[in-house]
Amino acid sequence: MNLRAIGCNFRTAPVEIREKLAFDPAKQEWAVSELAARFGAEVVLLSTCNRVEVYLARGLEEQPFDLELGAEFLAECHNLPGRLVGEHLYEFVNEAAVRHLFRVAASLDSLIVGEGQIAGQVKQAFELSRKLGCTGSLLNPLFQHALASAKRVRTETGIAHGHVSVSSVAVDYVRQVFDHFADKTVLVIGAGKMARLTLKHLQALAPGRILVTNRSPQKAVEVATACGGKPVPWDRLDDALIEADIVLSTTGASEPIMPRARFNSRVLPRRNGTMVILDIAVPRDFDPAIHDGDQVCLFNIDDLTRIREQTIARRQRHIAPAEAIIDSEVKRFLEEWNRRRSGPVIGQLTAELDKLRSEVVNQLLPKLNGKITQEERKLIEYHFRLFQNKLLHGPIAALQEASREGQSGTLLEALKKLFRLE
Amino acid sequence: MSGLLPNITYACFGLSYLCALVLELTRLRWPWPSLRYAALAFGAAGLFAHTAYLLYHQPDASTPSGSLLSVAWVLAIFGLYGSLHHTRQAWAVFVLPVVLGLVGLSLFMTTDLPATGTLAMPTWLISDRFWGAMHGMFLLFAAVGISVGFLASVMYLIQASRLRAKANPLVGIELLSLERLEEMNRRAINLAFPMLTVGLLLGGVLLRQYHDLAENWLSVKVLGTIGLWLVFLVLLYLRYATHVPGRRLARLTLLVFAIMVLVLASAHPFATGGGK
Repeated sequence: MNLRAIGCNFRTAPVEIREKLAFDPAKQEWAVSELAARFGAEVVLLSTCNRVEVYLARGLEEQPFDLELGAEFLAECHNLPGRLVGEHLYEFVNEAAVRHLFRVAASLDSLIVGEGQIAGQVKQAFELSRKLGCTGSLLNPLFQHALASAKRVRTETGIAHGHVSVSSVAVDYVRQVFDHFADKTVLVIGAGKMARLTLKHLQALAPGRILVTNRSPQKAVEVATACGGKPVPWDRLDDALIEADIVLSTTGASEPIMPRARFNSRVLPRRNGTMVILDIAVPRDFDPAIHDGDQVCLFNIDDLTRIREQTIARRQRHIAPAEAIIDSEVKRFLEEWNRRRSGPVIGQLTAELDKLRSEVVNQLLPKLNGKITQEERKLIEYHFRLFQNKLLHGPIAALQEASREGQSGTLLEALKKLFRLE
Repeated sequence: MSGLLPNITYACFGLSYLCALVLELTRLRWPWPSLRYAALAFGAAGLFAHTAYLLYHQPDASTPSGSLLSVAWVLAIFGLYGSLHHTRQAWAVFVLPVVLGLVGLSLFMTTDLPATGTLAMPTWLISDRFWGAMHGMFLLFAAVGISVGFLASVMYLIQASRLRAKANPLVGIELLSLERLEEMNRRAINLAFPMLTVGLLLGGVLLRQYHDLAENWLSVKVLGTIGLWLVFLVLLYLRYATHVPGRRLARLTLLVFAIMVLVLASAHPFATGGGK
């Protein structure tokens, strides 16, 4: 195996460097093709917001691709000084590279352990290289096995359980209250970045109607146009609240826009069933005393962040079992890889000795013609075959053992030379 | 088969349901698929034995024991269906205790009358007891509706208290949404009330016609059923005519269920029969 994984991630490079090293799809396509052509190698390039990594495999007899070459290439791609890039890079060699890829795909090397995006990004990077014809006998099985292992980790451990974004946690709460959304009205109050992000998650539930209100009518129209909603004048806030089932509030108001007394007198008498209020504004828009867990379920940014942190803490408990799965899968892959390498040599060796045995037996038997019976002839053939098997048993067993330990290279070469195998 | 049926007892289905419940509870801690399949198998075995018992012994539905056993049977079907349908929610954890409670109460109320011992056509179909049977049937369906409403209300109260405490939505027992539970409760109650009304009217007519005695009219069973109907009426009024929070409606449904169990467990003024 002549495999290298070279790159940087959120631990080794600050965001200023990562964003300079990031590849857009067109540049990534060019870089993969260029690397494959320049080094005659199999190449996969992974570029996400948290990491840029090159996986490069060459023939055993060829010079390995090293950190220096990797830094030079990345610097060349992005017109940066090689030294600046080099100091943020890491390098994994052969087995360590295999393990690194498996951990990356299983999201064990992610900023938020267990996040679900990375496996898809690894798959995309692999598919692109495969489409470009830049993967082969090593990277094809390697990436397929890494992705299968990532799936195993996700299904067999709780590492991916729960959501770790505030927006997703908000949607989890909404789902605890409502079952169907086509008849629901979402009211968006304010137009902050967080509101837009959470609204995206809520839109995925396909609510029947979206109302948007803002102190600035222009902003309300902007947000409403972007999400296919209807702007509502700010002075009709109470009416809009009466109509709403889900409220998403992110104004920049310095005082609560909805004190309890106003809510109880003007909004609570509505008869639309339970209302969920996601108050992600700081300072808070709604008086927390409104929450009763029945008619009104109010969740503020602290509630959502608390759940997010609980989920992250729970995921930590699943790291050890996930690492154990990765260990066993890496071992399995390496055994499989080494077996695959030694398989053809064992086949050649057996065929060669079969040929030699047949030649010797075919010379001997005509000389004994008429002197031995048919049964004795079969017995001779059988014993020659037995001798061949006994002779081969030792070398084959040694080769298989070395393969299991990942040290079959020298033995393979020796066998090829000793038996003059091509 | 006919040799097996006389040997089926309360213990057969009661223990099967209990095993299913234990497995379901275990599944809350260790959510292994094998536990789910085992729980389903025990639930199905219990239902099979329960059905066979009802077919063979044909307990009189007008007796406390028979009526409780019949309601438990319909709920067991409901529970098994729910367990198959809602793979992620801990459905059986709520249904099976009610089924077991009703079976236990039925066992407690059992009188030692001989079983029919055959799989013959039930007598109510071939005799003049048809209207009496219809009366019992309506009340049985009403009881099932109330039981389903009760289960939905229990789950609703738990879900609402979790929301009130702002508990982590993905930790602990997985339940249906408040909206779904409220819908389930509403449908069950909407179905149960007309059944209860018709059953009660039929009972009144029959009582008037065949057993028109003061002690019959003043029996716990009759008064309890009328009381149940009245509380039910209040429940429907609160639900549709006023604006009452879901939690209060759920609590009232629990009260309706409690009265129903009391009515089912009380002796019928003029019925006889029972089962083993």
